[in-house]
Amino acid sequence: MMKSPYAELLAVLSRHRGVVGSFVVSERDGIAIDSNVQIGVHAEAVAALAASLHRKARLACGAAGCGQVTFLRLDAERGGICAAGRDDLVLVTISEARANIGLLRVEMMRAAKALT
Amino acid sequence: MADEIRRLSDDLARDPSSLVFMPLADALRRAGQLDLAMRVALRGLDRHPYVADAHDVLARIHADRGDLERAADEWEMTLRLDPSHEQASLGLGFVDFRRGNFEQAEVRLAAARDGDPGVATALAHVRSALAARSAGARVPASGFDVPAGAVVQPAAVPTPAPNGNRSTASERDTPAVATPAPSRITEYPPPDPTRTRQLFAPVLDGDDQMAVLVDADGLVLAGRYLDATGSDVSDIVAAELAGVSSEAERAMRHLGLGAWTSLLVEADQSVVAMTPAPMGSLMVVAASRQTPVGLVRLLLDRALTRARDWLARVS
Repeated sequence: MMKSPYAELLAVLSRHRGVVGSFVVSERDGIAIDSNVQIGVHAEAVAALAASLHRKARLACGAAGCGQVTFLRLDAERGGICAAGRDDLVLVTISEARANIGLLRVEMMRAAKALT
Repeated sequence: MADEIRRLSDDLARDPSSLVFMPLADALRRAGQLDLAMRVALRGLDRHPYVADAHDVLARIHADRGDLERAADEWEMTLRLDPSHEQASLGLGFVDFRRGNFEQAEVRLAAARDGDPGVATALAHVRSALAARSAGARVPASGFDVPAGAVVQPAAVPTPAPNGNRSTASERDTPAVATPAPSRITEYPPPDPTRTRQLFAPVLDGDDQMAVLVDADGLVLAGRYLDATGSDVSDIVAAELAGVSSEAERAMRHLGLGAWTSLLVEADQSVVAMTPAPMGSLMVVAASRQTPVGLVRLLLDRALTRARDWLARVS
């Protein structure tokens, strides 16, 4: 079976401490293009919601004259979601509270530049 | 004492943005009403976070409550804002003394400026304790109490300096004018269309920071959002953010990660942070890209506290 061009990138992100899943999703329709998630993670639903959040943030930032969204982070009591986008593609990670968000952020922003 | 508290409460009710909260909080502290004193001091600091005397008052309240750690934090903050603040040096000396760090207390008090009888008396107690310990005698447990503090005078409201920071230079010099006023402490503007736009101004630190409270339907409740040209884009930003709360909630439910607490968006020009607020509303704070992300989160917490109080009052 042929690997997607994002497989290696997602595997690297998923090796970060506390990361339970990562995927590339289309912001326009919320469909996951590729994913690397642990068993039990509802990748499709989360991908769609993360894409929708990214779209809302992008539109709000556009309205406010803030420029392009470079990174988005949704925090919850026991973890959260990070997203970094480029054009229509959004790189999303799901992490537990023990994840090193600073390191993950740097890695994701670097990886997002390579999304095509 | 009761008359003094009533008069100061009236003064604060007449001008909630004044620094009268400092003598009021201190008077409440001296009257033993520590919870109320704490509330008044914290609300005052919400508006005037860079007034050294206000942190000194809060430190004394913490000390009276027996919370030496927080008292020390506040006195250290006081000294950061005003390195010559003798009451803060006295306070930290008191904390050192209570912790048994007599040497450190002596160094701190000796470094304080000469001429303050309170510092001199405290220094004498500390040296006496040191001598007693050296001689193997029993060290007196008392003799150095929570600093009484100088009589804190209310002053003019700090005005933004040209660089966007609050000025502090003359904040302790101008006495407030006392005139009769209704006897109640109130700090939040009523739901007046023009005043609610300014609701979050006291918790923001510069012109490049904005805060807006958005209801569940994407309508602005309070605050405002200006774009780079100075145009008010609050309504359109609020509309674009409608539904963020519910989507964040759904995403977290799918993942089983608990309730969502904040959403941080970094963009080319700004950092925008939001968090769920009461009644399904959304608190949004934005700052320039140069602002550290951690500070944006702190601003968000401060704005949320203010939004909660305001919503409780107007709803």
